[in-house]
Amino acid sequence: MSNTTTRWLWHALAVALLAALGTGLYIASKRIDYTWRWERIPQYLISTEGEDLKAPFDGFIVVSEDGKQLSMTAMRGSETHDFTGFSRILSNNGDLVFEGDVVAKTDQVGPGPLLVGLWLTLKISALSLVFALLLGLVFGLGRVSKNPAARDLAAFYVEVIRGTPLLVQIFIVYFFIGTVLQLSAFAAGVVALAVFTGAYVAEIVRAGIEAVPKRQTEAAQSVGLSGAQTMMYVILPQATRRILPPLAGQSINLIKDSSLVSVMALTDLTKAGREVVSSTFSPFEVWFTVALMYLLLTGVLSVAVRRLEKRYASQD
Amino acid sequence: MTNPVLIEAKNVEKRYPNGVLGLKTASLAVKAGEVVVIVGPSGSGKSTLLRTFNGLEAITAGEIVVDGHGLHERGADLRALRQRVGMVFQQFNLFPHLTVLENLTLAPRKVLKLSESEAVERALALLKKVGLSDKAERYPSQLSGGQQQRVAIARALAMQPAVILFDEPTSALDPEMVGEVLEVMRQLATEGMTMCVVTHEMGFARAVANRVIFMDAGEILCEDPPAAFFDAPKHERLRSFLRQVL
Ligand SMILES: Nc1ncnc2c1ncn2[C@@H]1O[C@H](COP(=O)(O)OP(=O)(O)OP(=O)(O)O)[C@@H](O)[C@H]1O
Ligand SMILES: [Mg+2]
Repeated sequence: MSNTTTRWLWHALAVALLAALGTGLYIASKRIDYTWRWERIPQYLISTEGEDLKAPFDGFIVVSEDGKQLSMTAMRGSETHDFTGFSRILSNNGDLVFEGDVVAKTDQVGPGPLLVGLWLTLKISALSLVFALLLGLVFGLGRVSKNPAARDLAAFYVEVIRGTPLLVQIFIVYFFIGTVLQLSAFAAGVVALAVFTGAYVAEIVRAGIEAVPKRQTEAAQSVGLSGAQTMMYVILPQATRRILPPLAGQSINLIKDSSLVSVMALTDLTKAGREVVSSTFSPFEVWFTVALMYLLLTGVLSVAVRRLEKRYASQD
Repeated sequence: MTNPVLIEAKNVEKRYPNGVLGLKTASLAVKAGEVVVIVGPSGSGKSTLLRTFNGLEAITAGEIVVDGHGLHERGADLRALRQRVGMVFQQFNLFPHLTVLENLTLAPRKVLKLSESEAVERALALLKKVGLSDKAERYPSQLSGGQQQRVAIARALAMQPAVILFDEPTSALDPEMVGEVLEVMRQLATEGMTMCVVTHEMGFARAVANRVIFMDAGEILCEDPPAAFFDAPKHERLRSFLRQVL
């Protein structure tokens, strides 16, 4: 038998085992009378409900004759408000409504709670990653600095952050810094994730810099480059190639770690999943869907980074 | 020679942090335009001596004055000094992420503040000089060892140094590439470049050097013009060294 055939047989075995695992799970769920309702999931991805349009103040509804215009006038004063983008009007001309009442619904199709959660996860991860890279670069350079104070501070940061659980850090940032500095839950989430990931990035940066042979530094110095120029033009560009792969791993961790911000009042993908479960009572379907959505994010990221790596690798 | 002294080392001692004495008491003066070749057994302190001349190794006692810069003084301006002292390494140490041209223009642009076009012009002239005009856009890893070392020499020359230090520039090369590098060095010597060369190429020493220096165990044991050095060695240890290498 040829080598390739054997290899395909092994791959087939892996697929068969996975299929068996799936079937086992299905049978097990049947045993506890679990009813699979996959048909319920799509509405939580794409909502057909439409979004609520709410009254901005207390007042009276004004609907035009043809029903194409919806506005309201304030109960006191002469303030008016025009509603736009609605598709269904839930009130009648002349109705008295109070601030916050739903008076109309927007277009039928919109992102469902899971997609909205995914978007928040994406936003918070991307923003945290940017700050984590900055923190990691600064403290990674601190770790290899000639200045003992810079080295001490960087080591302190890295050790403290890596020695405590992220969940505890999130609580500290949310309850302490959040109250003192009056940060929003979103800002607190970004701070917590960036500070946490930054410590790991710092170690990755340090390791990348230290992996560049000392001879490169000597060559750079011998042509008269300053310490900063040596770092900027000679060491960091070479370290980048070594930094990228572990950095990709760390970014993927960041996306996964971001699920912990759901303990704050933030409806990220995980929190959205929890909310959907409590209204559908279909935990398997929902959590499988949520897991798949995380996989999608992390998968796209790893493909992108592999592209980058290839580009860097072609230089030598 | 009445040329000014470029490098003046007096009773230089180098003790490494681990306690090893790399140099005991080395004294040496190199005049402008001179080619000084340093030979000696492995571990005798040749590299150490050379590296003290551009401050890559800080000395622990003695004095070194290079081109007017006192290296032993506190707060010596090493950057200013290194612009005047080029160095060529055994392992070439080119910047692997930069093209040949960028290797040559980086320091002139960033340190000497030359404009891009001035730096490129200078670099291309030097590449022509070392016979590598067609390799400007290549990366170091795409070149042979001999070509890389010639690029490294051009990179040192791009800073227009007063003196170039060579630390075993041909030791990492395949035998058939040694000649092309030595030829470039010979050419530099005839143009009057001041050079300190650590090498095992005794033929080069005999043909090009003004003086040959023998080091052993961190000391300079003797120095002579090549004829006297090789044909009438004064020191017993030099005689046994020459018996081994010739
Ligand atoms: N960075 C260092 N730390 C500690 N000891 C060192 C260091 N560099 C060199 N030495 C020691 O100093 C002595 C002189 O070394 P050096 O490299 O100058 O010798 P060399 O004459 O250049 O030898 P080779 O011909 O092998 O290059 C040796 O005993 C060596 O082990
Ligand atoms: Mg040596």
